[in-house]
Amino acid sequence: MTSQAAIALSSLTKEFKDNRAVDSLDISIQPGELFGLVGPDGAGKTTTLRLLAGLLDITEGEATIAGLDLAAETEKIKSHIGYMAQEFSMYAELSVEENLLFFAELYDVPVEHIQARKERLLEFAGLTEFKERRAAHLSGGMQKKLALACTLIHEPQILLLDEPTTGVDPVSRREFWNILTELHINGTTIIVSTPYMDEADRCSRVGLMYAGRLIVCASPQEIRQRVEGEMIELRPEDWQSARVLVAELPGVLEVQNYGERLHLLVDSAEKRLPEIETVLRSKKASYRSIRPAPTGMEEAFISLIKRMED
Amino acid sequence: MSLRHLWAVTRKEIQHIIRDRSTLVIVFLTPFLLLFVFAYSLTVEIKHVPIAVLDFDRSETSRQFVQRITAGDDLELYAQVAALEEIEDLLLRGKIKAALIIHPDFSRQVLSGSGMPMQIIIDGTEPESGAFALDNMASRAEEFIENIFADQLVALSVPAEALKPIDLRISTWYNPSLKPRVDLIPGLISMVLGLPALSVALTLAHEREHGTLEQLMATPIGRTELLVGKMLPYIFVGMINAIIIPTFAIVWFRIPFNGNFFLFLGLTAIFLFAILAMGIIIGVFMRTQAAALAVSFLLIFFPGFFLTGIFFPIAAMPEIMRLESLGLPGTHYAIITRGLFLTGVGLDVLWPYSVMLFGLGLAFVGVAALFFKKKLG
Repeated sequence: MTSQAAIALSSLTKEFKDNRAVDSLDISIQPGELFGLVGPDGAGKTTTLRLLAGLLDITEGEATIAGLDLAAETEKIKSHIGYMAQEFSMYAELSVEENLLFFAELYDVPVEHIQARKERLLEFAGLTEFKERRAAHLSGGMQKKLALACTLIHEPQILLLDEPTTGVDPVSRREFWNILTELHINGTTIIVSTPYMDEADRCSRVGLMYAGRLIVCASPQEIRQRVEGEMIELRPEDWQSARVLVAELPGVLEVQNYGERLHLLVDSAEKRLPEIETVLRSKKASYRSIRPAPTGMEEAFISLIKRMED
Repeated sequence: MSLRHLWAVTRKEIQHIIRDRSTLVIVFLTPFLLLFVFAYSLTVEIKHVPIAVLDFDRSETSRQFVQRITAGDDLELYAQVAALEEIEDLLLRGKIKAALIIHPDFSRQVLSGSGMPMQIIIDGTEPESGAFALDNMASRAEEFIENIFADQLVALSVPAEALKPIDLRISTWYNPSLKPRVDLIPGLISMVLGLPALSVALTLAHEREHGTLEQLMATPIGRTELLVGKMLPYIFVGMINAIIIPTFAIVWFRIPFNGNFFLFLGLTAIFLFAILAMGIIIGVFMRTQAAALAVSFLLIFFPGFFLTGIFFPIAAMPEIMRLESLGLPGTHYAIITRGLFLTGVGLDVLWPYSVMLFGLGLAFVGVAALFFKKKLG
């Protein structure tokens, strides 16, 4: 099975001078998967993607990409993958079209295919009318789409995207994900790191990294089910005092803040909701609403991270 | 090596040079500016050097002598002093650059033809002015003696034609009027033409800082393709400079060009290859543009100034510096430019320097490609 995997990592480790950025990673990603890599800042997501893109030397372990050994055939692998760095990394002085042409030539796209692919990608990324504009003068969202178009110019089987939507407005973010979904449907293997849980929810499988380790690797549904307890959403008038109050109550496993809302993880929502209401009323802590809610990726993520930290 | 990759990088780099104002200014305007600044600042003639005179003789002859040496524009009599301490004081304050002390026996010895007892003190902290004053006084003294002898001999009715038994004519070849500029400017040109090496050193660091290098490293581009592709545009730029700057120097400074201009262009291309490769090495090792710039100054600009023999003769350097200067492309190229501008020699004389330049270039590119890894961190 591993020989067919698009990407197979076995105890992949990267050590820098004083820390283990990536610690014994074992993942097998099948062709056509849309794999999300999540985790707090510094968890090792970027290092993992850079390792896979052949940009860092492996300290220990092995990785096979598109059936090729990463350490031995780095340069060969590069033409099979498309890598998009976290920072904007196109040439600011070049126009949209010139950037595409530049990468087409570096990836040895046959001359007769360049024009058609360029047009298709510009259309795909919604950049056709901006094709003569310099990359420096594009909006943040358009820059990301240009970078994606450039990494797609050689039609790679595997895409490695490092937080492609960070710092992008919600509309562009949605557009970007529509493109990714289309690529996913067409069978491209995609690994995408993201800080957004709604994006993680759109992946076929999610790997949660913490301190260089992969602590969970499962589908979004499975991850949500792993969280103990059920959720209650509470909107108090004064969240600070309400938080102290409810955290002490029996059956409350965890309290998470979302602005002025509190998400309580409890052993049983049905049983605890009336109890919490009673306590709040008796303590004269007024609230706008309290209701059971489904556990989302975000709650699951925070809960799993908290458990790691404890 | 893929020519397609090479051309992609070269074209991209040319677009960058043309569109990025600051790069454009650095590569085209700075060489001109430096040529001007150096040409004018280094060729200022020394005039009106202030001196003091301490005359212990106080005779007609000594007065005439003092008048004689301060007659022209070269030396200026700042003060007649009465004691040695005053001279020291004036020297320390920087009021005078040299002092002349005339011995009490001056007129007697001069008139009897037995000698010219005097002492010249110069300010060693400013050797140019001091040496100038020394040379000046010495030659004036010679003239003075000669005139006195002539007067005496005429008085003895010896014909004036018979007076010059030794006819010493000093002749300087290749730069007959001994204008300092003519000698310096070809050397200066050789230095300013190497300046695009600074930009080339910056371009890799620029890509590193802007994250574009990370993207480049993720592509299948070869290391040599990338490095040479980055050098080529600056060779074009350098060649444009190599046509404009010498042409301008010939017209503006009226310096001669006695060699073959096409040979000059050909050898300039080899020089650019070598010096740009040096820039690339710096780019390979330095992470930031600031560091690349600092190191370029240290390794390209200053040695280009001090160690290539443009201003300071290599023969006068200590052994280790002489060896270092051999490793600098500028050294060989300065000889080539001076040869082509002033002496007008051809490849028969210049080939060893050309071979050396080419060898240095290859070595530098080799080192750069060896140490440049397509890896981050």
